[in-house]
Amino acid sequence: MFSTIALDTQVLKQGLCTGCGACQGMCPYWDSVDGRTVWYFDCERRDGRCQRFCPRMPTDLDALRKKFFDTEAILPEIGPFRGLYLTRAAEGAVREKAQHGGTMTALVELALKEGFIDAAALTRSRGGLSPEGVLASSPEEIRACSGSSFQIPPTLAALNRALKENRYHSIGVVGTPCKTLAVYKMMADPLPENDNHAGNIGMVFGLFCGWGLDWDGLAELTARHADAARVSHMDIPPSKYHSLDLREDGKTVSVNLDEVLPLVRSGCRYCTDMTAEFADLSVGGARSADGWDVDKGWNQVIVRTEKGQKLLDLAREKGVLEFKETPETGLEKLKGASLGKKRTGIRNLRELTGDPENLGYLNPCKGLFQDIT
Amino acid sequence: MEWTMTANAPGQVCLMQGNEAITRGAVEAGIHFAASYPGSPSSQVLGMLGKIAKERGFYAQWSTNEVCALESCMGASLAGARAICIVKQNGLLCTADALFCGAQHGVKGGLVIVTSDDPSAHSSTNEFDSRWQAEGACVPMLEPTIMQEAKDMVPYAFELSERVGQMVIIRLTTRVCHGRGNVTLGPLPDRPESLRTVGEWDRMTCVAYQHEPMLQKLDAIRREFGDSAFNHYEGPDVSKDLIIAGGTGRLYAREAIDRLHVGDRVGLMSLGTLWPLPEDYILERLKTAERVLIVEEVDPFLEQNIQAIAGRNRLSLTFLGRSNGALPRIGELDPENVTAAVAAFAGVPQPKREVPPFDTALPVRDLTFCAGCPHRATFYLLKKIMRQEKLPGIVIGDIGCYFMAGQPAGYYGYQACNCMGSGINMAQGLGQLTAYGMDQKVATICGDSTFFHTILPGLVNAQYHNANMLLLVLDNSATAMTGFQPHPGTGLTAMGDPVKPMDIQKIVEAMGCDVEVADPFDVAETEKTLRRLIQKPGMNVLIMRQPCATLMGKQGRKKARVYVDQDKCLGDGCGCDKYCSRVWGCPGNTWDFTKNKAVIDPVTCVGCGVCAKLCPGGAIQVEGGEA
Repeated sequence: MFSTIALDTQVLKQGLCTGCGACQGMCPYWDSVDGRTVWYFDCERRDGRCQRFCPRMPTDLDALRKKFFDTEAILPEIGPFRGLYLTRAAEGAVREKAQHGGTMTALVELALKEGFIDAAALTRSRGGLSPEGVLASSPEEIRACSGSSFQIPPTLAALNRALKENRYHSIGVVGTPCKTLAVYKMMADPLPENDNHAGNIGMVFGLFCGWGLDWDGLAELTARHADAARVSHMDIPPSKYHSLDLREDGKTVSVNLDEVLPLVRSGCRYCTDMTAEFADLSVGGARSADGWDVDKGWNQVIVRTEKGQKLLDLAREKGVLEFKETPETGLEKLKGASLGKKRTGIRNLRELTGDPENLGYLNPCKGLFQDIT
Repeated sequence: MEWTMTANAPGQVCLMQGNEAITRGAVEAGIHFAASYPGSPSSQVLGMLGKIAKERGFYAQWSTNEVCALESCMGASLAGARAICIVKQNGLLCTADALFCGAQHGVKGGLVIVTSDDPSAHSSTNEFDSRWQAEGACVPMLEPTIMQEAKDMVPYAFELSERVGQMVIIRLTTRVCHGRGNVTLGPLPDRPESLRTVGEWDRMTCVAYQHEPMLQKLDAIRREFGDSAFNHYEGPDVSKDLIIAGGTGRLYAREAIDRLHVGDRVGLMSLGTLWPLPEDYILERLKTAERVLIVEEVDPFLEQNIQAIAGRNRLSLTFLGRSNGALPRIGELDPENVTAAVAAFAGVPQPKREVPPFDTALPVRDLTFCAGCPHRATFYLLKKIMRQEKLPGIVIGDIGCYFMAGQPAGYYGYQACNCMGSGINMAQGLGQLTAYGMDQKVATICGDSTFFHTILPGLVNAQYHNANMLLLVLDNSATAMTGFQPHPGTGLTAMGDPVKPMDIQKIVEAMGCDVEVADPFDVAETEKTLRRLIQKPGMNVLIMRQPCATLMGKQGRKKARVYVDQDKCLGDGCGCDKYCSRVWGCPGNTWDFTKNKAVIDPVTCVGCGVCAKLCPGGAIQVEGGEA
């Protein structure tokens, strides 16, 4: 099947697209508009990078992680695992602009300074509306990308453009689980005739993710509750608060989550990865059993690879990150939350295909999910 | 060409095209006034009249549309002037109100309308048959078959028109317009006769009580046509098998009869006066016939009317023709399909093809825009910005070269296209549906000539009612489709006089529309402009300004050299997949099958350089050239 038609019929029309941008930035056919993946003309190639990289085209997750991670240390709920940490950026200025504790900003900046990477494909949140993918090559540019957005922009389009340019040879990527999965697909399964310089991918930083939201929907919702231009930050506190908090001029405006949930992007309903299992290390907001305020302003970090461990150790050594003891229940709580997302994703996939045995794009690794009901 | 139009050399035999024969006929008739809007296949007539108008002392005009053309001819007729109006089938339909009203009030000076039908729609969107207009309007119609007849019918039509006080329509078809044949020239008048004063009580007014006088004129003409030399019969004195043919069908039928050697038993009645039909003349032959095959271009017009004659006279005959499968129901007649019909009619075997069939497979070629055509860039961008919309965008087409945009040439660029000038109105209608929750973006297109032709009233309507839509005026500074006739934006008249050109932008601004100008070749910037305007509520106009690519050659400008650096070319690889030749689709962008890389045909390429801006590999280079 023609590449454009393959992705259109198997991903876009099925409502599976996450808007990650893995299909973009390499050719004139694919593009993204307000978070929507669009294509302009038919590409008549039967094999192409767009099909190979798309995280919603059939993928064998099990084979992929065995290829890149230590098989001894894979936890079924949260993937490759070397350790769980509670951290935050040591520098107050970084924390101030961050979503939670500024760990990601501090780590990426450190990775750049220490030569782990020479540039980074990041998302500039722009207060949470109309975020964009950018390529950062200086600490200042990295800091400008602090904070996150519930709109998922096609950051990987920026990565693909940078890889094609071949100017940087060890590019770091920060992304949600769909994006980091795509990046591993790029490294694992390059097109034989054109590897898009996949070897220039230096390091992968995953972001915990529950779901992203429809762009137009979130923009309209924001406009209903605040002056969108003055909203600097959006966050979802622990589930018992059942709200989306908008920070408008430093004040918090809480929006009932019931208004937000219908806006969840269709493609996110079929995701089974909360902790970005394909990454050197993954970072998310800390969620303490002892309550919101206890860990507010802290991150939890899952280290998944040796390189990730090295970077985190260096951050400790250099005093870039502050560490706090992880409560014993932390890992179990995280596993539980992650498993919850897997259950929902698998249930939705079964509903989509209308067949309990058919998991759609996850069919090649059906075995991973056989115990989930 | 011009010599044969203006030479006063009676008896001289010249090889002429049908359109030339009509032109010569008009000059021999001593016309005072000629007006037309270009339309294939008869666009050349006014072009030639315009060139010789000054020399022959008459007036010729490329009118803004066909209504302007016909109604200005009527004005000239009031003063006793001989006026000729040249239109194509759609143009005649466009004049319908003026035609029907004009028929009711009649004319003073001779008024002849030449209409050219386009069977098989070679250069049209349809193959409408003008003959119904003559019948509906009660206006006499003649149809020539050979070039001599085409010339001779014009002076006759003027003479008849003046004698009876009614317009006369001459119907041509594509093959008659473009075919060639010998014409013996007639004498030319020294000058058009001087005109009389329009008197206080001279009248050409359409009022209901003239209905009866109009029909009486038709009755008189019918009697006259009964003896017309334009109708004739060949064949046995009494033929049970009778062919009745008009237009090109006459020649094809004659050829078929000769080829099949059935002339001793099959009679051929050729009709040149098509409306009103010479009823007694036809009836005389019908009375001795048993079966009648009717051979005519496009609709079963003769068939139905001759059946009516037979019916009124209680004749029981078998009729064969286009309505019962004896001849194809649609499309142009040709010697083959007419011969097949005549063979079946005469009960003789189908003749073998004398020309062996051409057995080499020809490549399939889509209709497409010329190399460097600015329309290609416009529709490329329009497709992109409509795909960027959350809901599919709606594009309404119109009539001009850009009609081809509905096909691959324009990326299947529009959903609907009706007639000339309809785009703005269809789009306006769609743009008024917001109350029903209609949230799709609507755009329409028109060329600069079409803008003046029929878009203007639609734009007034759309602007006044604040429709949510975008009008793209594809201003290529030319009436390109029909051969670069001047229009009100060009600053030139049919007679070659410079005049003040009209500025589309100022006209649109004066209406109160929000208007911007963009260059379709500046693809990056124009894409942004288009996206911004398509999202802007209300009535928006974007003038896409870039001259027709073929003007460049006409103006002798030095073109840029555009070539492919094949080392950089991605070819059919991932990331390109022949983007220039396969998607962009300019005829200048071709494919090097030996190297599997893109290549530019230097002969076809006009050097616009747009493909270089789109090339994903940055492989297309542009050197030199004049803007």
